[in-house]
Amino acid sequence: MSEKKGLDRRLLRRIIGYLIPYKHWVILAFFLVLLVSFLGPLRPWLIRLAIDHHIVPGELDGLFLLIAALFGAIVLEGALSYGNAYFTQWIGQQAIYDVRVRVFRHVQKQSLSFFDRTPIGRLITRTTSDVEALADVLSAGIIVIMGDMFKLVFIAAFMFSLNWILALVTLCVMPFMLLVTLWFKRNVRGQYRETRKQVARLNSFMQEHVTGMLIVQLFGREKEEMKRFEKINDEHQTAQLRTVFYHSLFWPAVDIIASTAVGFVLWTGGVSAIGGALTVGVLIAFIQYCRQFFEPIRNLSEQFNTLQGAMAGAERIFDVLDNDQSLPDVDAQDPPQRFEGDIVFDNVWFAYKDLDDGTPDWVLQGVSFTIKRGQNAAIVGATGSGKTTIISLLMRFYDIQKGQILLDGKDIRSLRLKYLRWRIGLVLQDVFLFSGSIYRNISLGNPDISLDQVKQAANTIGADQFIEQFPKQYHHDVRERGVSLSHGQRQLLSFVRVLAHDPDILVLDEATSSIDTETEHIVQHALEQVLQGRTSLVVAHRLSTIRHSDTILVLHKGLLREQGTHDELVAAGGLYQTLYELQYREQERAMEVSA
Amino acid sequence: MQSLKRLNHYFIRYWRLFVPGLLFTMISAVFAIAVPIIVRQAIDSLPRFARLYRQFEATSLQHAVYWDLFWTLFVFGLIVIALSLANGAFTFLMRQTVIVASRHIEFDMRNALYEHLQKLSANFYHRTKTGDVITRATSDIEQVRRYIGPAIMYSTRALVIVVAAITAMLIISPILTFYALMPMTILAVSMFVIAQLVHKRSEALQRQYAQLTSRVQETLAGIRLVKAYAREETETRTFEKESRSYKARMLGLARVEAAWRPVFVIVVGLSEIMVVWVGGRLVSEGIITIGNIAEYIIYVALMTWPVAAFGLVISMMQRASASAERIYEVLDQQPDISDNFRTDPSIQKIGGRVTFENVSFQYEANLPYALHDISFDVPAGESLAIVGKTGAGKSTLIDLIGRLTEPTRGRVLIDGRDVQKMPLSVLREGIGYVPQDVFLFSDSIGNNISFGTTGASEEDVRQAAFEAELLETVLEFPEGLQSGVGERGVSLSGGQAQRTTIARALIRQPRIFIMDDALSSVDTKTESRILEHLHKRQGHHTMVMISHRISSIKGADQIIVLDAGRIVERGTHASLMAQNGLYAQMYQRQLLEERLEALQ
Repeated sequence: MSEKKGLDRRLLRRIIGYLIPYKHWVILAFFLVLLVSFLGPLRPWLIRLAIDHHIVPGELDGLFLLIAALFGAIVLEGALSYGNAYFTQWIGQQAIYDVRVRVFRHVQKQSLSFFDRTPIGRLITRTTSDVEALADVLSAGIIVIMGDMFKLVFIAAFMFSLNWILALVTLCVMPFMLLVTLWFKRNVRGQYRETRKQVARLNSFMQEHVTGMLIVQLFGREKEEMKRFEKINDEHQTAQLRTVFYHSLFWPAVDIIASTAVGFVLWTGGVSAIGGALTVGVLIAFIQYCRQFFEPIRNLSEQFNTLQGAMAGAERIFDVLDNDQSLPDVDAQDPPQRFEGDIVFDNVWFAYKDLDDGTPDWVLQGVSFTIKRGQNAAIVGATGSGKTTIISLLMRFYDIQKGQILLDGKDIRSLRLKYLRWRIGLVLQDVFLFSGSIYRNISLGNPDISLDQVKQAANTIGADQFIEQFPKQYHHDVRERGVSLSHGQRQLLSFVRVLAHDPDILVLDEATSSIDTETEHIVQHALEQVLQGRTSLVVAHRLSTIRHSDTILVLHKGLLREQGTHDELVAAGGLYQTLYELQYREQERAMEVSA
Repeated sequence: MQSLKRLNHYFIRYWRLFVPGLLFTMISAVFAIAVPIIVRQAIDSLPRFARLYRQFEATSLQHAVYWDLFWTLFVFGLIVIALSLANGAFTFLMRQTVIVASRHIEFDMRNALYEHLQKLSANFYHRTKTGDVITRATSDIEQVRRYIGPAIMYSTRALVIVVAAITAMLIISPILTFYALMPMTILAVSMFVIAQLVHKRSEALQRQYAQLTSRVQETLAGIRLVKAYAREETETRTFEKESRSYKARMLGLARVEAAWRPVFVIVVGLSEIMVVWVGGRLVSEGIITIGNIAEYIIYVALMTWPVAAFGLVISMMQRASASAERIYEVLDQQPDISDNFRTDPSIQKIGGRVTFENVSFQYEANLPYALHDISFDVPAGESLAIVGKTGAGKSTLIDLIGRLTEPTRGRVLIDGRDVQKMPLSVLREGIGYVPQDVFLFSDSIGNNISFGTTGASEEDVRQAAFEAELLETVLEFPEGLQSGVGERGVSLSGGQAQRTTIARALIRQPRIFIMDDALSSVDTKTESRILEHLHKRQGHHTMVMISHRISSIKGADQIIVLDAGRIVERGTHASLMAQNGLYAQMYQRQLLEERLEALQ
């Protein structure tokens, strides 16, 4: 228990650390909250003066001054509490913004193996709702708790300054108040947990059965599932009703205790008033203090609950931040230079993950090949032979376990990641489009790529025709409802994208899906444009691509089995022959038919 | 507010709780309002006692006066405590009736909604997003409950307190009452305005939150592209922009929300000032007593929350009304596939002959046909295999057998009778269906298998698991068939999950067994063993299966090849091979693939 407390404190300290850049503002907020906490209890005190010094003796002349002071106090309290509420939010939101951006940057920096393992949904939760929970601590939490504590102190101080006996009488119900609050807190916390559990059960039942409704219907399980639902719904209701019960008891109890204090004050205060030890004004002030005093106590118990919830979120965020799996990068600031395009894979071994027995699950086993500058290379192989992996490794999405990958004779691990990827253009099989305009999807926010350059690239590729059909042309939103882009159009866009970025080396994972002949011709043409004058590495699915390649790499089960030109490999009659039959023969037939 | 009227029958159903509940509400309010009167009398008694006390100074009577006061005030104090006890007791009862009733109604509504959801057909679920349905069953019902419970309770209590307090105040002094209540009118209005603004701004905030989330989602989904083009900085800048506007919205909301407290402080404070100022004059003129001032101060404090509640309740009702509308939108949805006047109740079970007569199907009127003129006849106990590319219409065809959808033209017949005439429960009881998308409930493996049967023995479950080649695997799990599926249980591989769905269909001993590409995640060896088991059942059930692997359907009595919704080839394996068409090509490709796979 004590160990957990220690941990919590460290966590809290770390959370508060995010407020350090705003420490001057935080100090200001403390002063504000101090003032607000003072002004509230000041009111009964002023009213007391009005009653005792003016109303009871009937001297109404000075009353106006007090009324003015009272008015000033309310206006000031109103204004300050408004400013304070807004201001604490402001500080918290500034800090939250910092945390959020930091988590986002951190996540984005991670290597792809991190993304392969971590569900995107979980990462989204970290950057959004978990950060949100932190906001409860950073914005309101601490300052509000302080404010409530100040308020308690001020009210007690005012009471003691007026009459210490009555102050003690009022305070003597305090222990009961504390007891009731603690009782409520203990019971209701377990009950809240139970309620949350029931709500989650109800939601997941709903989620599951709405998703699988057709199964329920086909298997004729409506009656049984209805019974199960009723049971869950019933348990949910029971949990809710028990919470209702505690609430029904707690609020009246609080009111009764506060009224008991009023009763006591009336009795003891009235009795001592007769001897002149106490004035009517003081008595009325105490009646008001009795009610004011219990509000902060109730608030405090609620605040601590929120705080606990936020801690859990904070812990999850720090877990992500403390676990850095980004690839080691070189700091060198050498300006990006053009690559000549000599690519060498030298005995490359690579595994995405380990097998259950701890040995690596090799995807590539000692692959070696050379692509000379300006060459167009094609990779062919069956599904799962490791074709796409070669592309990912050249882009350094993952680090290899053994061997070396050299670009212009330099190990890619010695190049700055950013610069390495800048000069290599990648076209993936599934064309990913961001929401936003076509222009943005092509330039990807790179300010160096002007609209004219994009237009020119589109022209070269032959994509200008369909783009210019949209009413807003290059500013057309690709996700706009109704006019979604066809598969072929998306492919063309990805070619325009890569051409606009003018890379030295082109890496391409050709799409397998078939498209109509007309688009096929355009894509064919586009591909030629993009490949021209560049070293390239293509995972080939098109017959024409492999035919035009300078060299073909034949992969099978993680091994490089054959390398050569199309004619050479066909003549050799090996693995390539079978692959060719399987993957490209049909295209050949189709071409013969269309010819 | 029209939709709220439709909730009225719930009030009638629970009148036994609502009638006493509202009564308790009123009684508790009356007790609450009596406290200030006692306080006033206590305070007003003080000067009287003080005068007597001074008059009898230095006499023995002074002592008596002191004790008289002592006990009088003691009684007043006790009455205050007793009143608040009574108030508390009735508040407790009020919550225990009205809030409890609202929970009962919530329970009923949710049951009604779920029951209705079970009746709606595939069509509805194609059209509606899962998340949307769930929102209606959860947060919309909660909004409505708040109207039924708290809103009605608060407004009743508020009404009683306000009326009673105002009456008490008017009796004392109409002028002072007028001044004291003047600021209060602002309160109700500003509460309503603030609640509306808060609601509007929270919605804007929620929208921005969704935007922020989808921003993150997009970047992470496209992380390969982001990294490949080294666009991390740009993405961060966009994210920062969205975060900034989220912050702005949040602060926009804070600007409104921060107004709650000041409005309270200022309104209550102004009322107090009025009481002291105007009241002070009245006291000096002898119209009211000093005790009345204390009384008024308490009244003002008592009324603050009820008056504020009026504003909030209106806002709550508006939200509840929108939510009720969304709930009724689902409830008003007529189930389009159900038993009706055409149903022939004399049909008690099905034999297994499946016939399609010129069946065409389109999902919506303006969409192209997904199936064209499909006809075939599978005698009971025989098998039909359907092959074709993705999107050829295979799954659509299968949905028509179990009457998940209805044909646009033509007829689907079982045992020569139109499926539309069969009681739905009879039809579906006779079908064992293994869908393409594996869907299991988060329950134990055993319960998932016995899902579609009643009173299946452990032996039955084992037998079905055995036939689906699942038994051996499952028995290796520490908890065997009791192992849970999903988040808190073992994570099944794709193949294991698929085999579970096969066992789930087999245990029903169906007359018609349908497999929609249900062996796709199973390796070839296991597949052939499952097919062997199925072979033993031959003659006991009619089998309809879709497969991409020709090896698994070679033995079917009939094979049809679908392309773009039409049957392009039909026959047995041998006759189709002889035709040397689409089917033969697919088969040759698969042989090549197998050969490649075998290569080391």
